[in-house]
Amino acid sequence: MYTYKERLDAMRKTKIAHTLAKRKQNGFTDLDDFGTVPISEGYKVIPWYNSENGSFYGLDGMSDNFCRVIGAHEPYVDKNEMLCGRWRDMLVNYRGDIHYMPDWLKNNLKNEEFIKKGATAQWSKRWDEQRFPYDHLKDDQKKYNITSGIDSDAHFACDYRIGFELGFGGLLEKINKYRKINPDKADFYDAEERCVLAIVDFIKRHTERIKEMIKTEKVPEIRENLTEMLRVNENITLGKPSTLHEVCQWTVYFNCASRIYTRDGAGFQLDTLLYPYYIADKEKGILDDEKAKFLIADLLLSDPHYYQISGVDANDNDMTNPLSYLILEAADAINVSCNLTVRVHPNCDREFLKKSVFYLMKNKNGWPRFANDEALSAGYMKNGLDKQTARERIAVGCNWLCVPGREFPMNDTVKINIAKVFEVALSEMKNEKERSVERLFELYSKHLEKAVSVVAEGVNLHIDHIGEVTPELIMNLMMKNTLERGEDISRCAEIYTVGVDGAGLAVVADSFAALKTRIEDERVLSWEEMYESIENDFADRRIYAMMKSTPRYCSGNSVADAFAKRLTDNFVCKVKGQKMPQGRTLVPGWFSWARSIEYGKTVGATPNGRRSGEPLTHGANPEAGFRKDSAVTAQSSGIASVQCGYGNTAPLQIEFDPGVTLENGGLERVTDLILGHFELGGTLININVIDKEKIMQAKDDPDKYPDLVVRVTGFTAYFASLSPAFRELVVKRFIDET
Amino acid sequence: MKKALVTEIRRASFHDGPGVRTVVFFKGCPLRCAWCHNPECLSFEKEELYYPDKCIACGRCSEGCYTGARSVCGREMSVDEIFGEIMGDMSYFGKDGGATFSGGEPLAQGEILSELLDKCRSRGINCALETSMLIWNEEIFKKCDLVMADIKIWDSDLHEKYTGVRNERIKENFLALDALGIPIIARTPVICEIDQGLDRIADFLSGLKNLVSYELLPYHPLGRSKYEALGKSFTEFSVPSKEYMKGLSEKYVYLQRKT
Repeated sequence: MYTYKERLDAMRKTKIAHTLAKRKQNGFTDLDDFGTVPISEGYKVIPWYNSENGSFYGLDGMSDNFCRVIGAHEPYVDKNEMLCGRWRDMLVNYRGDIHYMPDWLKNNLKNEEFIKKGATAQWSKRWDEQRFPYDHLKDDQKKYNITSGIDSDAHFACDYRIGFELGFGGLLEKINKYRKINPDKADFYDAEERCVLAIVDFIKRHTERIKEMIKTEKVPEIRENLTEMLRVNENITLGKPSTLHEVCQWTVYFNCASRIYTRDGAGFQLDTLLYPYYIADKEKGILDDEKAKFLIADLLLSDPHYYQISGVDANDNDMTNPLSYLILEAADAINVSCNLTVRVHPNCDREFLKKSVFYLMKNKNGWPRFANDEALSAGYMKNGLDKQTARERIAVGCNWLCVPGREFPMNDTVKINIAKVFEVALSEMKNEKERSVERLFELYSKHLEKAVSVVAEGVNLHIDHIGEVTPELIMNLMMKNTLERGEDISRCAEIYTVGVDGAGLAVVADSFAALKTRIEDERVLSWEEMYESIENDFADRRIYAMMKSTPRYCSGNSVADAFAKRLTDNFVCKVKGQKMPQGRTLVPGWFSWARSIEYGKTVGATPNGRRSGEPLTHGANPEAGFRKDSAVTAQSSGIASVQCGYGNTAPLQIEFDPGVTLENGGLERVTDLILGHFELGGTLININVIDKEKIMQAKDDPDKYPDLVVRVTGFTAYFASLSPAFRELVVKRFIDET
Repeated sequence: MKKALVTEIRRASFHDGPGVRTVVFFKGCPLRCAWCHNPECLSFEKEELYYPDKCIACGRCSEGCYTGARSVCGREMSVDEIFGEIMGDMSYFGKDGGATFSGGEPLAQGEILSELLDKCRSRGINCALETSMLIWNEEIFKKCDLVMADIKIWDSDLHEKYTGVRNERIKENFLALDALGIPIIARTPVICEIDQGLDRIADFLSGLKNLVSYELLPYHPLGRSKYEALGKSFTEFSVPSKEYMKGLSEKYVYLQRKT
């Protein structure tokens, strides 16, 4: 027997083995799993450096090195799977990108050299500063702790329909067609062609590997599986995918390529796009639901890309279909780190939402998460976009959204640490005679405006030149206007709604509230005493307790809640008020990703009783212990009230202990909570249901539970892969909130 | 304006009735159960709790304590103030959730409770009551969607010994409540050292037409620190084992979801 269940169990075991092996090879990583497999024995890439500064850039540098890296990749074929192909390494690693660099590559001579030269910053050699310097921005970027987005990842989403319609052969034809129309863009088309041919070669190497495996395979069922795999691979090497199996396999190869290129790529509306293939196959009698489920499970295993399901179309009609249900069942069957987002709308099938919550609670693996179609669309339309476009915009990133094929949003790559902005304002007020909370807010507002203008300059620099530095040659293939015009998507996107996130909302709101309450309302503390306490990191325990005990943001109608709303209005006003060239516009949101630790280190003690260097609060979340009862509803209402309202998110991140079970009515309660948050205007909900005992044991001995997945924030990760500091943060958040 | 004395309002409770609930804990109770884990809810007066481990010896207690070492238990709240807190969770109640009035003994502050129930009902909020059943107030019971009622010990002498009151009236009130047709969840805290007469209680409950379920709640000693903070002596009982509780739950399973 060779049942689907046995195969899935074996695939899960392999995944666990990979997670442990990767941790040995890569060291800890506070990132998404990305679906990589361990580096194979003897793997080596010799990059071609085409710049005087020792890095590689541009069409030739990127395409040549892409070919080298994908060419060095061993084929990956697991006889238990129906799909093959995985990625292991990306070419930007060879530009000294310390942030993502796995341990095994740090020993590489070139990278040792980068590190020795002080390339400890995130984007050491990724941006060509010789050609596109931004020294004039650096002081202010540091002053306000800005993550500028300059040479950031390609955070946009492909329109997979383009690829499904053409296949790799069709893409080559399209390249050739437009090369003739735009003869002055020959370099561009050459580079694109090189990349597609390298992908085709990657597929061919898999085909050869499958053939070898068939020769030696003795088990008839496995041989049959490999034979089908071979047929699918041969069909899609150049041809367009025409069955569910082929379209899933095609997606895996494209994703491998986009990951190898810059680690990027994003998923798509999985149920809607795959539905025609599913139906056609069933009508032809070549697919049953069990096989469809297995294929989807395999696709989800191959890469934890962000896929969406359910939701409504431009006419508010429910898009949930039978495949939506099968996708949930498939995710349940494989139960790995699945970044599935369920779009929720009043018109959507309520049973589907309940089924989604059921799996969240049953598996306790952090999936799915939930997005509010109504609030996100209505908000996005305020940027001047139509409803159709707004509905097409889907959650394809950790917290971020994009209109597939049409938008260049840089979402989640541009951030301002508002706790740092606050610190600058507080410091400036120290030298003034008249000190007041209102004056402080005025100064904060002034500095935020400056910070936003610095952000805008960085964003514009990036958009203007990223195509020359790191042209996006892979994802570019499935964007609109790119091949047609011979341009990088950064140059020809239809929409430039660029996300700017604020980090540290709760720290700043609570700080304003503490100052207002203790100094101005109660008059139990002077400004002098406050400044002294900040400088000596709250050596006076009474003052520390005094500031720490003021009612927090999310406690419900508190002074801090009012400040959080005011800070949001102010942030929206500054970001939306920033003038941008060429139809670009900035879009505000509250999100800080894993940077709450890193950002916290740059900020001294703050008046809310936070000691110097302590992590900032995450995203729009309140400080742990924000209420005695830690009421998740109060947190939900608080976060719903600070939505920026232009289509980007301020996610609600909540943790439940397994006391909230399916048996004791947890399903209905969690569903009510999701619907309640969305009714109030919330945008995105990330939920963890974790066994307290299990996570405490895993904190000290992560290898004990190598399959434990936590939703760190928008992304899920294997707990065993997180660094000790990050594990501590996740555990603290969980323990404090349950 | 009449005000209630409230110990605490807990939002997003998943354990005090169906759905997501806001629980209002009224301060003051006519019973003195030896095992009570909420001693701060017993007195009808405000009280100070003192936690010495939180004290930083700043010597400025009179200016206000910020560390939580000294805190006052009990807050006077108007109907509107309490209702405002309940409304804070209105979006999350769904079809099952709502407000739960608990204590202490909420019926001991009947006038304000009645007003609160009226307000909640006018907004369609589901109302549940947690009560010791010592006090009868038909008008209030009729306004409730669910009553979670305690029946602690069958024998009245023993009941008086461990709670300070006899239980004849409690049993009568159970029957009267049942006659009103209101769904009842009966509850008994399980104390191993006391012969509570669980079989007799179960027999009695099996005669009720509107019993929804019977919950047996294992004793726990988690109220100890609060007794110490109040300067009161703490009586410790043994914690029933999981197996024992499971056995009881199986024995009386016939009382679950009777209606």
